[in-house]
Amino acid sequence: MFAYITRRLLATIPLLIIALYLVHVGISLTTDPRSGFYLCLPRCQDGFDQITEVYNLDVNVWMRPFIWFGDVLSGDLGTSSSIGEPVSEIIVDRGWNTALIAVPAFIISAVVALLLSVYSARHQYSKGDYLLTGLAFFGLAFPSFVLALLIQNIFGVQLENWFGVKPFNTGRKTNENFIELLRDIALPVMSLSILFISADSRFGRASMLETLNQDYIRTARAKGLPEKRVVWKHALRNALIPLVTLWALNFSALLGGSIVTESIFSWPGLGPAFVRGLNDADIYLILGIVLFTGLITVFFNLVADIMYGVLDPRIRLD
Amino acid sequence: MAKSTFDQENLDPEYFDSERYEHHVPVFSAGEVEGLTEAPQTFGWLAWKRFRHHRMAIIGAIGLVVILLLFIAGPMLSPWEFDERNIADRLQGPSSDHWFGTDEIGRDLFVRTAQGGLYSLRIGFIAAILATAVGTLLGALAAYFAKGTDIFISQVINMVLIVPALIVLSIFSKYSGGNATSLAIVLSLLLWTRIARVVRGVVLSIKEQEYILAARAAGASHMRIIFRHVLPNVVGPVVVEVTLLLGTVIVLESTLSFLGLGVQPPNASLGTLVADAKGNIDNDPIRVLTPGFFIVMIVLCVNFLGDGMRDALDPRSKNERG
Repeated sequence: MFAYITRRLLATIPLLIIALYLVHVGISLTTDPRSGFYLCLPRCQDGFDQITEVYNLDVNVWMRPFIWFGDVLSGDLGTSSSIGEPVSEIIVDRGWNTALIAVPAFIISAVVALLLSVYSARHQYSKGDYLLTGLAFFGLAFPSFVLALLIQNIFGVQLENWFGVKPFNTGRKTNENFIELLRDIALPVMSLSILFISADSRFGRASMLETLNQDYIRTARAKGLPEKRVVWKHALRNALIPLVTLWALNFSALLGGSIVTESIFSWPGLGPAFVRGLNDADIYLILGIVLFTGLITVFFNLVADIMYGVLDPRIRLD
Repeated sequence: MAKSTFDQENLDPEYFDSERYEHHVPVFSAGEVEGLTEAPQTFGWLAWKRFRHHRMAIIGAIGLVVILLLFIAGPMLSPWEFDERNIADRLQGPSSDHWFGTDEIGRDLFVRTAQGGLYSLRIGFIAAILATAVGTLLGALAAYFAKGTDIFISQVINMVLIVPALIVLSIFSKYSGGNATSLAIVLSLLLWTRIARVVRGVVLSIKEQEYILAARAAGASHMRIIFRHVLPNVVGPVVVEVTLLLGTVIVLESTLSFLGLGVQPPNASLGTLVADAKGNIDNDPIRVLTPGFFIVMIVLCVNFLGDGMRDALDPRSKNERG
């Protein structure tokens, strides 16, 4: 197992490094942090040199990423120019805020999608199945920003008494009171969950249907096992295997910060920080967030592969 | 007798092109086989029959045609121009004059929605076609040549999958200019991986089949085998993926444009129309709802169509819905 994890990391970490290298070069080639200085040049030579120093602009574009890699290895992600704080602090703060809506959204969407897909598969082509499939199709067709704007408008504005007066446009985040916090995260969590439930439940239905049509399920029924046990014990375990990959990808996507949903609800998570970094050509912030989301993706893919082995002992990892 | 099994016809590479080897559907005419009461059907005919009975797919196809007609013919019927400003009529609701109302500087929103919708669809089509071409070719090459080629292409695919799509997309589209072609190229750079994986899987099983070996023995070159004997077999799965991909591209493009990272003014897409209107959503939700409605409808129709194609073109699928 340990050998497997090492080998996987050895295979994926270089890919992440290449991706970061390309992002670094791409941004360096297209932006210039000194652009504001050229006009006043003789007078502001000190500031000019300082910026050159901070971004290593005297080094060749193709070599610059290596300096950044060296800094990262020594634990320094640089300082964000747009927010004015060290990137590592921003990632910890914003990452925590993102997790506050990512974890509930993930748990809700995983549980609901699982229940819906089991129902749909057991009652294939029933009215309920058609209704759920139709709703899932509808949900899948919604871009996240349309859904988030709709939810914000319906629950935050039209029904403003439900959640207080427009709490979600103001970008406030109250950690003091648990009930307040629940109210603040309700709408972002709702819009994220709906998106993931529609995608997961269609996938889960297909996986569950395939499992329920297997011979060993017929055997289990033939030997007189109660239906509950057949579905939840025999079928579910195998149907879960493809779903686990999807969940791993979903969770890493959520933890990396949902750019659109967080921006619309003014949630101070990683997503809006990234958009800000992008608009201000804040290279260290962008690279820090890409590094963070990349590491999360690598980690959860690994977790998914290990979960395969737990769910199906026939899958050997080494 | 041994001579007749190795006659010229069997060695001719053209011989192996025939439909019968590709989908294992024998093509006999009814008269040839005794006792056969029903004329046997080709793969294409069976697929069309399955597709025709797929009610959702037909609804999706009709829906797409209706939306396209509306987008193309609508602006011709309307007296307004795409960029025509009319400050006196700013921020109006829907009326018989301005069917979808007007925006902050009095431009007619129906014409803008139609043109923006066409722009979104254009980016979607270009990106889907590019991604399909790249994905199919690289997937087929990886599976066919295996070894180093396969390792290299698979690693590139893994790299694209490791970095979150929207983040990379926004970095590259932010600095790519924002016209339809460059945006489509950026989108397709990230979306070819899915098709490449599907094609790679299919080709891995096809290349072990005897007719490939036979074509090789008959002296066909690798390129000829790939283009004439291997790729025609992946048409089914690829058509399904392309359709579903089109939905993904349209959603991604509108998301990028909504964030201000995609289509740039003076051009408009459905995403930028939503972004333009969102500041005023509390008083005037209709302006957000109309372009949003068209995005949802286009993607819905495309997905229905893709689902129907999957049922029709996947040889494993039985005609379950009757």
